[in-house]
Amino acid sequence: MSDCMSKIIRTTADIMFMFIVVFGFYIVLHGHLTPGGGFQGGAVIATGFILLIVAHKLDDFLGWFKKKAFQNFEMSGLILFIGTALAAIPLGYLFFMNFLSGAGGLFGQVVPYGVNPGFLNTAGTIPIMNIAVGIEVLGGLSIIILYMTSGISNHEEGE
Amino acid sequence: MIELIHILVLFGLIITAALIVWQKDLIAAAVTFAAFSFLLSIEFYILQAPDVAIAEAAVGAGVSTAIFIIAIRATHNQEVT
Amino acid sequence: MRSIVAGITLVVLAVALLFAAVSIPFGNPAMSDMDDYFIAHGQEQTSANNIVTSIVFDYRAFDTLGEACVLFTAVFGVSVLFRLRKKEEDYEYE
Repeated sequence: MSDCMSKIIRTTADIMFMFIVVFGFYIVLHGHLTPGGGFQGGAVIATGFILLIVAHKLDDFLGWFKKKAFQNFEMSGLILFIGTALAAIPLGYLFFMNFLSGAGGLFGQVVPYGVNPGFLNTAGTIPIMNIAVGIEVLGGLSIIILYMTSGISNHEEGE
Repeated sequence: MIELIHILVLFGLIITAALIVWQKDLIAAAVTFAAFSFLLSIEFYILQAPDVAIAEAAVGAGVSTAIFIIAIRATHNQEVT
Repeated sequence: MRSIVAGITLVVLAVALLFAAVSIPFGNPAMSDMDDYFIAHGQEQTSANNIVTSIVFDYRAFDTLGEACVLFTAVFGVSVLFRLRKKEEDYEYE
């Protein structure tokens, strides 16, 4: 938007942005233990960025976060997702096989069957894919709003 | 208690869905749509689907409202009769 | 005349959909073999506590790959649309 909101709205958006982003990363990282996952957490983080875009001037926002950063988020998320899926083939497993589950090491802790308190270091490739999809959705939904807002700003200046 | 909240949420869903259609001001309709999405996420949570509730609250009430308001800002504020 | 036809169509459609919704049994799946298998073996095969996430990202990961490609295509379409508008400076809007 070409003009910004009042000072109260801008300050509230600045404060709420931190909590929204922390809550979204909590949903992404605990996707294999609690409800939520990559898409939900990425959408929550993108809502925080959209709050900043709506509350501030577009030029101020582009001074803090570049468009190139969101494009790189989108690309790196997709590459990490497909790379994790393809990494099972040289190791002798099938495509999308969960080869880290129960093998020790990174995310490889064996979980006891039944009700347990929930350990973060479990579930094999599922947390990696959660993080990949979360980064991808964060970049995608933010870049859609950013392109639409910048297109409208150019349109209004041209008149 | 949970049945009372459930019935209230269902009536609120019907009222907000009717208000979206009847509004002449499109900005007011977009904000009413955000309220509709919020009530729908509460309904999903009552029906024990918290995954869908989080996705609906983030996408329906956050992102789609922003997209609607940006699109209304580029065009006209009133519904063409 | 058009409003009468529209009203008759609305009533017929509403009756047909209500009849279909009432006649189908709700909440009574005939086959639940896959559900029982996922609930019984999901925790030891994928070692994730959340069965929904273990289905979305492990058993049915191809669906998630398709969803990621759909989102990428949406972003691609939006970027192409608004980049065209930015370059055509001479085009006159109404």
